[in-house]
Amino acid sequence: MYIKGVGMTKFGAQSGTSQELVYEAVMEAIEDSDSDIKDIDAVVVASASTDAESGGERQRLFSGVLSSILRKQVPILNPTAVCGGGGAALWTANKIDYNNILVVGVERLLTNNSIRVTDEIMMAAERIYEQAEGLNFPAQNALVAQQYMMRYGATTDDFALVAYKNHQNAYKNPKARFYKKEVTLKQIKKSPVVASPLRLFDCSLSVNGAAAIIMTKNETDIKISGSSLFVGRMAAFESADMTSWEATRLAANEAYKQAGISPDDIDIAELHDAFTSVELLSYDDLGFCKKGEGKHLIRNGYTSINGEMPVNTSGGLKAKGHPISATGVSQVYEIVKQMRKQAGERQVDNVKYGLAQNIGGAGSTVAVHILEKIGG
Amino acid sequence: MIIRWICEKCNKKWIYPVEKCVYCKGGIIKQKGSRLKVAGITKVMIPSPMHPLIPYNIILLEDEYGNRLPKKTMKDYKIGEEFVQEKAKTENAVAIVKIKYDIYEAIKEAIRLLKGVGFDSEEKILIKPSVVLAAYPYQAVNTNPDFLDALLRLLGDYGVKKDNILVAEQALIGSDTMDAASKAGILEVCKRHGVDFADISKGPFEVIEAGDTKFNIFKKALGRKIINAPIMKTNFQIGLSGAMENFSRLCDEKTQREMYYNDIGKSLPKLVNALQNVITIADVSSGMQGQGPLAAGEPAFMNLVLAGKDAAAIDAAFCEVGMLMLPEYVSNSTDTKKIEIVGNEIDALKYPIRKPIPNETPHADIKVIDGKACPACLNLMNSLTSKLIGLRGQEIIIAMGPLLDANELKEKERIVVLGDCAAKKLGSMGLEFASIKENMDSVEQILLLKKLLITEGTPKITNIDKIKSKMQKLLSKVMK
Repeated sequence: MYIKGVGMTKFGAQSGTSQELVYEAVMEAIEDSDSDIKDIDAVVVASASTDAESGGERQRLFSGVLSSILRKQVPILNPTAVCGGGGAALWTANKIDYNNILVVGVERLLTNNSIRVTDEIMMAAERIYEQAEGLNFPAQNALVAQQYMMRYGATTDDFALVAYKNHQNAYKNPKARFYKKEVTLKQIKKSPVVASPLRLFDCSLSVNGAAAIIMTKNETDIKISGSSLFVGRMAAFESADMTSWEATRLAANEAYKQAGISPDDIDIAELHDAFTSVELLSYDDLGFCKKGEGKHLIRNGYTSINGEMPVNTSGGLKAKGHPISATGVSQVYEIVKQMRKQAGERQVDNVKYGLAQNIGGAGSTVAVHILEKIGG
Repeated sequence: MIIRWICEKCNKKWIYPVEKCVYCKGGIIKQKGSRLKVAGITKVMIPSPMHPLIPYNIILLEDEYGNRLPKKTMKDYKIGEEFVQEKAKTENAVAIVKIKYDIYEAIKEAIRLLKGVGFDSEEKILIKPSVVLAAYPYQAVNTNPDFLDALLRLLGDYGVKKDNILVAEQALIGSDTMDAASKAGILEVCKRHGVDFADISKGPFEVIEAGDTKFNIFKKALGRKIINAPIMKTNFQIGLSGAMENFSRLCDEKTQREMYYNDIGKSLPKLVNALQNVITIADVSSGMQGQGPLAAGEPAFMNLVLAGKDAAAIDAAFCEVGMLMLPEYVSNSTDTKKIEIVGNEIDALKYPIRKPIPNETPHADIKVIDGKACPACLNLMNSLTSKLIGLRGQEIIIAMGPLLDANELKEKERIVVLGDCAAKKLGSMGLEFASIKENMDSVEQILLLKKLLITEGTPKITNIDKIKSKMQKLLSKVMK
């Protein structure tokens, strides 16, 4: 499959319904692709639809909502994988046999106070072993981060560098929550602890937003040359090695194989930095370095925007924002913008291969997509 | 303890209970790790609805097989430290154990943690679950049948003979016990285990004395070890239907009514003290929150087993966990500061379940003033008002119970009296009221209450109303 056009809303705390967010993102994608909505013969949508007490939209049949807002009577699928929903939608779209497919991710996540939103997100954790033990997502990832630190000598300063890098990138991204908002390394290191060793600035931002992609069988300038999805176990503590997420390794290996490339060929990557520690251990699991050496990539600037392989030029989940189901689709938006040299201040040169990694849960469901720029 | 389910043949491992290996079809055994050390720790600084108290720690425990389990605690630990679950030092301790998909193991662990609790193979045992109304297990009104099943399996492990076990209960006054036990799934579990179920309301009863009070107790309960197995529920009238309240239904109907008339806050502690050789193993797999059974009460996720010899201490511990006010009969029975807790820390379990609201009924336009009504009237009030939900009306106030206070009723309009003792009490005060009697047919009761609700002004029941409701009753019988 090929990518024709992309669109996304600004990620932030804006009001507006999911329908409005979707409409805006789809409109941009249609215009970007110079195509007609009439040509779309299937839609895959990712939306978890929150139910955080009074403010939630409670729209679990979002395929129906999408049919009404887009006035389309075509197959509309709604695979669910919470934070990995966007990636799962893309993977699904790659598997179904239609000519022009619209992939949409949307979330109106900020619907209530942070206690309720924390609880809403916590529903993606295991009920008895995790939720009942207070293991919210920062805590789950904190336990993983701690194991990683103990085994490989990564430090909280390394996590801070990841946050700093991604905030610097978001500063240049008009669609990011932290666009033109300066964040210093000192602020990051001094931010309050959320779940030790993770601090506030190690955590991604809950935001509202939507992103859309128009995929087609007809050749365009961007090919999806690798599309893979694997599901590991439900809980991180189940894995024999908590510091390595098997689903990422399996999905990456499969995607590289499909694309006929190796990790060394990747020019840019949008990684699922729901927590800064996840970006670090993903460097290892995606094969960008040997196991445990991810810390060197951040320390020596390898993944910075001017480095050899920039990671999260969009600002990532950390600073662009993380509207759950829209995240995976927005990662592809960024790679497409980079490949088409439309990334403005954060433009990276010569992007041939870009990789997007999208995760649902603490390493549970992982989608990896490799995009290839065709021609010059 | 960390439990994993492992295939005997191919060693595949599950965190969830499975019956058979889906790969090689091999049998499953439980792997139980008991030598635990702390492999990781995080201090959580953000609250969530089920975890409102911060900071708290989550320790990552690892057993001798390398299996891991996260555990919430308010205590500080160090990585590498051994984790030991302390056993009770006092006889009246309360064990609180979380259910990790296996109620049987949770009950077993609770008993292991308690001091001097066990079962003899020759021992005669009476299990007293809560089965108050005909309701399905998911409604959390009655003790869950899976809980009873686990308890009976455990007694089997101790070698207790089936012939020596009796499961006994009676539903709320006015409800049919066998109907309730059947719908609750309790009869089916008894049948499966080959143990008898007795309807306590059929008696016989024997008088026991506790100071100046006499209780007519189910005779078969005397001389047996009693395993009190209540489900823990909020209750709009007495705050909590839990471990102590469950004993009230060991008594005959007359005693139960008298206990409420004579102030349940004082009579219940006397009854509980009078009973010997008792252990409570409480089903908190689901608790109930809100107004109580069939009165808009809802299941509350709690996932616990509470056990101990002191029923009052168990009620107190449950109230602490659910952040509820302590009922008077509990505070009259125990010093909460002296309760030893083993298993899980109460502070690490606390989350506010929905409290019962006094004076509320399931119907928004019907309020209630409770003069210590007995369970019969309480049950009737809940049942009638539930059936009128959705019908708009003018607010009415149901007054019930023998201890109604004239001051509370003063200046109140649109009073409807429910039950005979409340009618007697208000009659003696010289107040005017419309009355619905206990011995009326249920169709008549509903029709009269409906009429009172939708009629403006002072509610009155006329002779025409009575004739109409009686005709409707006859019609409904003919239709049946």
